Amino acid sequence: MAAPHEDALARIDHDGVIREGIEAVETAAVGQTRSSFFKRGSALAGAGLALGAIPAGFAIAQGGLPKGDVKILNYALTLEYLEAAFYKEAIDKGELSGESQIFAEVVAAHEAAHVDALKQTLGKKAIKSPKVDFGGATGKSKFLETAQILEDTGVAAYLGQAGAIKTPAVLSAAASILSVEARHAAWVRDIIGGGKGVNPAPDSFEMPQDMAAILDAVKGTGFLKG
Amino acid sequence: MHNDHIPTFSELDRDGAIEEAAARAGVTRSQFLRRGAFVGGGLIIGGLPAAFSLAQAPGKGDVDILNYALTLEYLEAAFYQQAVDKGALNGQLARFAKIVAEHEQAHVEALEKALGSKAVKEPKFDFKGTTDSPSTFGDTAKLLEDTGVKAYQGQVTNIKAGAVLQAAGSILPIEARHAAWIASILSDGSGSPSPAPDAFNPSADMAAILSAVEATGFITTESGSSSASPSSGTPSVAG
Repeated sequence: MAAPHEDALARIDHDGVIREGIEAVETAAVGQTRSSFFKRGSALAGAGLALGAIPAGFAIAQGGLPKGDVKILNYALTLEYLEAAFYKEAIDKGELSGESQIFAEVVAAHEAAHVDALKQTLGKKAIKSPKVDFGGATGKSKFLETAQILEDTGVAAYLGQAGAIKTPAVLSAAASILSVEARHAAWVRDIIGGGKGVNPAPDSFEMPQDMAAILDAVKGTGFLKG
Repeated sequence: MHNDHIPTFSELDRDGAIEEAAARAGVTRSQFLRRGAFVGGGLIIGGLPAAFSLAQAPGKGDVDILNYALTLEYLEAAFYQQAVDKGALNGQLARFAKIVAEHEQAHVEALEKALGSKAVKEPKFDFKGTTDSPSTFGDTAKLLEDTGVKAYQGQVTNIKAGAVLQAAGSILPIEARHAAWIASILSDGSGSPSPAPDAFNPSADMAAILSAVEATGFITTESGSSSASPSSGTPSVAG
């Protein structure tokens, strides 16, 4: 029953709002497994070639995206804005050191690249960067646990949209980000666990979470202010 | 049509919540609970995720992709099981091998179930001593996991059935987690090799992956179609 990050949640969840969000996530995942059988588009050749910093999957004609894909991309962009701002603030605070600092610097660059790619793809339809307030979560004592929650959430969020994306190029690009979010999640879990505790890959199969559940959980953190 | 309208986060949130709540209304929690146990955040039926209980038999293209995935999972599962059995590992590497061996075996069983009689048979393997020492095990595990991520990613747009995409999608991030985990162990806190070397993970197509697997020499017999489907177009690892 327990979400893999329950222990970490307990450490930062002052008033239980995140836990409520996660419970909503668990409940909502039920609907996702039943409802997310979508028709697939046709094949797209290749995939991962990067054009500059942006993968080819994002180099698609603006304005040609179906409304549903625009919504999914803006949802992803919101999560990436949140992650990018979190890591930047943690680095700027200057309280991290060692492996945590290496992790923060690498991942900050990745999340910023995801933001840039999504904004470029969406063009004028891109959502604005929200105001954020991370409180003490970017400080040394809470950074790793918060990062773990954000990354595990990102994995579930991208996976939850895989069946809903209509444009093959968008699906290909989203998959390339999904893999990277999963790498971040395992990496920070290994740093926290130190080879003994938190399992970097806690299950044989990753569970998707739907948009409503993720947004409830994100709202529950209080990190987003606008 | 409304390119000048820039949505706010609260608009996105509201729209998402309404749409998803409507979707969720299609099934109640009690209906769901009758279908199987909700374990560890996953819907598990008969020990396997529900995503692998394909309501419709997959088409030929999807069968080929699933058998390709199954071949890679056979390889990984056998590699880790041999490493565990040999007992040359300790500490973090031993823990990694034990846990990942279980995951890869679960992937094998799930894919076999999804394919039914069309599942390819397990090939014979020769891991050429790479499971004999911690250093060769670690380097080989990293190669296999990085390859697995690229392989699954390379098929996401080729898969036709939504249910098959869902099933493959539930494995892709696990392979990525394994890949980052082994890199993190090997890096010993130095960040090199990086557990997440790129902002966008590269993918690879079937031909490139099968060439790379062939080059290892780990597969000593071709995986073959079961007798029930002699012409299912199984990818030939031996070229």
